[in-house]
Amino acid sequence: MITVPTTLAELEVPDGAVVRAGGTDLQERLRSAASVGKPAPQLVDLTGIEGFAGITETPDGGVRIGAGTRMSAVARELAERFPGLAITTASLATPQVRNHGTIGGNLTQRTRCWYFRHPGIDCVKSGGEGCPGRTGQHLYGVAFDRSECVHPHPSSIAMALLTHDASVELADGTTMPVVDLLGDGVDPTRDHLLPDGAVITAVLVDAPWPGERGAYFRSISRFEAEWPLVECVVRARFEGDVVAECGLAIGGVATVPLRVPASEALLTGATLDDATIAAAAHAATDGANPLPQTGYKVDLIAATVTETLERLRG
Amino acid sequence: MTTFGSTVNGTAVKIDVEGPEAAVDVLRDQLGLTGTKLVCGGGVCGACTVTIDGEPAASCLTPATALRDAEVTTIEGLATTGELHPVQRAFLAHDALQCGYCTTGFIVDAVSFVDRWRADHGDTEPDRHTIADALAGHLCRCGAYDGIHRAVAAACRGDHDEPGDEPGPQRVDGWAKVTGEAVYTADVRLDGMLEAVIVRSPVGAATVGPLPADAAEHVVDLLGDHREVVWAGQPIAAVAAETLVDAQRLAAELPVEISPKPLVTDPGTARAADAPEVHAGKASRSAAPNAAEGAAFPSRWDGNIRTQRGSGFLAGLARRRVAKARRAGDPRLVELGVGTGVQLHSSFEPHGTVADWTDPDHLLVWTSTQAADDTRRHLADRYDLDPGQVTVTADFVGGGFGSKLNLSADMFAAIELSRSSGRPVRCVLDRREELTATGNRPGSSTDIAILVDDDGETRAMEVTADAHAGSAINGAYGMLMLLMYGRAPKAVTNADILTNAPPGAPFRGPGGPTAAWALESAVDQLAHQLGRDPLDLRLTMDGNEKRHALYHWAKDLDVWKERGPVGADTGRYRRGVGAAAGNWLYMVDPDTEVRVSVEGGGRLTAICATQDPGTGSKTLVANAVASVFDVDPVEVDVHLGVATGETPHGPTSGGSRASASLHPTAVEAAEALKEQIGSRPTADHDGMAATAKRGGDRGIRAVPVTLPMGIQIGRGFSGALHVSEVEVDTLTGKVRVLSVHAGLAVGTIHAPDQARNQIQGSIIQGIGQALYEQQVIDPHTGLTLSSNLEDYRIPQLGDTPEITVHFHTEGWDHVPGGGVGLGEVGSVSPSSSVGNAVFHATGWRPTHLPIRPDRVLEGLR
Repeated sequence: MITVPTTLAELEVPDGAVVRAGGTDLQERLRSAASVGKPAPQLVDLTGIEGFAGITETPDGGVRIGAGTRMSAVARELAERFPGLAITTASLATPQVRNHGTIGGNLTQRTRCWYFRHPGIDCVKSGGEGCPGRTGQHLYGVAFDRSECVHPHPSSIAMALLTHDASVELADGTTMPVVDLLGDGVDPTRDHLLPDGAVITAVLVDAPWPGERGAYFRSISRFEAEWPLVECVVRARFEGDVVAECGLAIGGVATVPLRVPASEALLTGATLDDATIAAAAHAATDGANPLPQTGYKVDLIAATVTETLERLRG
Repeated sequence: MTTFGSTVNGTAVKIDVEGPEAAVDVLRDQLGLTGTKLVCGGGVCGACTVTIDGEPAASCLTPATALRDAEVTTIEGLATTGELHPVQRAFLAHDALQCGYCTTGFIVDAVSFVDRWRADHGDTEPDRHTIADALAGHLCRCGAYDGIHRAVAAACRGDHDEPGDEPGPQRVDGWAKVTGEAVYTADVRLDGMLEAVIVRSPVGAATVGPLPADAAEHVVDLLGDHREVVWAGQPIAAVAAETLVDAQRLAAELPVEISPKPLVTDPGTARAADAPEVHAGKASRSAAPNAAEGAAFPSRWDGNIRTQRGSGFLAGLARRRVAKARRAGDPRLVELGVGTGVQLHSSFEPHGTVADWTDPDHLLVWTSTQAADDTRRHLADRYDLDPGQVTVTADFVGGGFGSKLNLSADMFAAIELSRSSGRPVRCVLDRREELTATGNRPGSSTDIAILVDDDGETRAMEVTADAHAGSAINGAYGMLMLLMYGRAPKAVTNADILTNAPPGAPFRGPGGPTAAWALESAVDQLAHQLGRDPLDLRLTMDGNEKRHALYHWAKDLDVWKERGPVGADTGRYRRGVGAAAGNWLYMVDPDTEVRVSVEGGGRLTAICATQDPGTGSKTLVANAVASVFDVDPVEVDVHLGVATGETPHGPTSGGSRASASLHPTAVEAAEALKEQIGSRPTADHDGMAATAKRGGDRGIRAVPVTLPMGIQIGRGFSGALHVSEVEVDTLTGKVRVLSVHAGLAVGTIHAPDQARNQIQGSIIQGIGQALYEQQVIDPHTGLTLSSNLEDYRIPQLGDTPEITVHFHTEGWDHVPGGGVGLGEVGSVSPSSSVGNAVFHATGWRPTHLPIRPDRVLEGLR
């Protein structure tokens, strides 16, 4: 029913088994499945593996974040050197969830779609057919409609890692860029493209830019602790007032977080004046093809990018 | 099975797990630490918060295996020496709780925050944002946020470090709530108890086959002879087993044939002639659920449209005047089409019942109800027992808000399965069931027209009020608009638009906020159209003297005096101030009895078969008795929440009738006892008692009959006025409520802290209705998608505005005790005041609730 390996050598994920770290995504799904009489899968508890948690500096000035590192530690320990990633992490979920949820789990969590999470409903992502949200209720759905599935990807951290060209390290010793882990989002059955049985052991982030600055904003209806309608992260290196390098990504709008090269190109070499911000914000909406109920997200993408860049400007 | 050790509240324990269990399951079910509550099951509400190695955790999302070799602290670990933790004392001192169901989780996390804060910043007070940010993982449905904020701030300052420095008066059952000792129905565990699960319809319309007799060892049918289901989640049957997991599996496998039929969930679609008929035929129509407390009004069915006989005063004249003004383009006519979404009660303690019918002559029921004594009588009726053979216990009730007034499926399941199995049976709903199947405030679509004369006096009002109560009838709310703004000709048409959605139910001030959204938006719009101050216009239109006093009070508020013209702000952030008025009936249960006695060595003791679902009725009774004997209310033992054949009848906690029924009766009983024993009760008086009965008021009553459920409608209307200040972010569409001033005209206040707390709570719930809360139904299956607390968005601590509460206490001298209830009237106008403030800020009139960011962006485009 449950195995608790203590070393990587002991780690084995049998067919059909589910790995568990902080449990902050999985436990809700287990409770929900149990409510309709579904038996629990075999579990592999990763938290006992030596070295599973912890942040260490790499020789080239980057960091290796153990997959079992709690999000509160990521937010706290990386605040100075990786501000965009740290603020993003500090802004997601609730303090209790950040205290116990892990960065590896955050990257591999399943979608928060209300159809997928409803134990009485099957969809293409939960083993059934089709997307009931597409013809049903999708107020919180995507604005870039590129997959049969219409609910956005849940990981804010994945969005931030895209701007760092980060990678994940797997238990077999190989690495995989986060952009490949996420893929293009077209396959409606997947939330990530981790091979069957593979386990993430760490997130690898290259050295930050000198004097790197970052900003994050999430558009929601309430104070905090709400899944983003739209979110945006930006990291930048300034030379004086000029943006020398930057990375910008948006979330809550597609089945994967989207890096926005068009906005980055407009910002690079420019000062953050209102006109530049407006142009970059507008560029982030290029290609949007919203659903009947998500037209508002196009305006909200521009608004969210604007607010994020204004925060970057300070 | 894995076994490991852990240290829980300083004690070494052994824990056995299969693997998938969450920490909360082990703490509650294996270790019996029921002070930790399970509410959302999704890490959103924080009611299950414990600390693991010093770090607060949502124990519903924490695998039980995370407790291995850990130091765990639950609420029970905070006051082990019998002395409260300073944070617990702060929560008592600031009345930072109502029903108590979220309280223990808040406290465990607050202890952690206060310790960190004081270590880093000394005994200083954090700002509001810091506290809200630290406790963002908690929700309180009662809306006790203002007290919670004040309590945490005070604990950070070190105000409550010494025992005994909390000022009175306190909530008399507060101690049990801040320590986790309060036992709610969901915490009751009897020897040999089975766990029951309700089998529900997976679709919104279907024909259900018969239940095979041998379908399961312990199974009961809940559908009866009429085998058509009309909403997804409708109870069909219930099964019981030794464990919850076994019962869930049996429920999933129950061999009942369900043949889906076409369904309709959208009221607009339901109106079409070719829409599937929700209640086709007489049998279905007479079996239709009732969204209201009273009997169904005479009405005419046309497909899914059920129109009540028109009501009003000189209705024909009203229509002619409106039509004429419309043709003439009269600027004194205002017309609006508005709508509201469906709001879910979301009580934090779910509906649940434990039944023990192992003695055929005595049915013992623990249930989460707002109506313990009514429930006892109705259960006796239903199961052919003498009312004296039924005991209903509802000692602590984790919120109800109108959803726990009637008999419910969890009661039938537990009781009937106990009868058939000969064992005690527990049936407690999970969050998805609670947010699907326990009622809701119906949505609405209203067309309203108001015509005034040159002075602003009402000349005519015409209203078409469509209720969206799902598959229920009687969602009507239009007649409430007849009760305000003068005796001019008025025409109201009420209709239910039926759909295959879960049935509506009473919800604080049933129909009140719905009617106010139309009426108060229209009056506000009219004031704008006429260039009048909205309060001045109400002073002209509204004849209610008590509310006149509130209008004058509000005109003196700085926030109103500084209010500029509509839409004056032009920047990204725009501020606005809006007002809305509320009206409610005064109700009383004349059969209420309270017995006051001396027990246990000179202790004053009050007993009544009513309950305290967080409203403060225990404290109110204590205050009443204490006032007669001039003692501290905590010197009075109050026993509510148990209804037997012996206990004096108590009122239902609904319809704002409890306070006006209980307080004068408790005073009268205490005075009678004082006549017998003098002013100082001692052990010599043990066993002496006096009982009083409320009776009706002398003189005229508004309605000279007693309605079902023991309600008399008394003379006079209670009044409310809310003035809200908002900030609209025109870039992102987000609306924040900055401050709310509430004025209430309900007479003398018998439990001031609790009254203020409840009024604040109705404002929080009104902000939820105004900005966030909305039931969402899947059109394909009829299932409720907003059936978790992530997707059903209730206000957070950080959404709480600065709130001031003003009580206008005059005008109720004809009522014994001089005051009436306030649970309903305080709920009527908060959401409309927010809407009017958004209009004032932006010049855009929001017509549909909730005012979500997408609607704001569209409105301002």
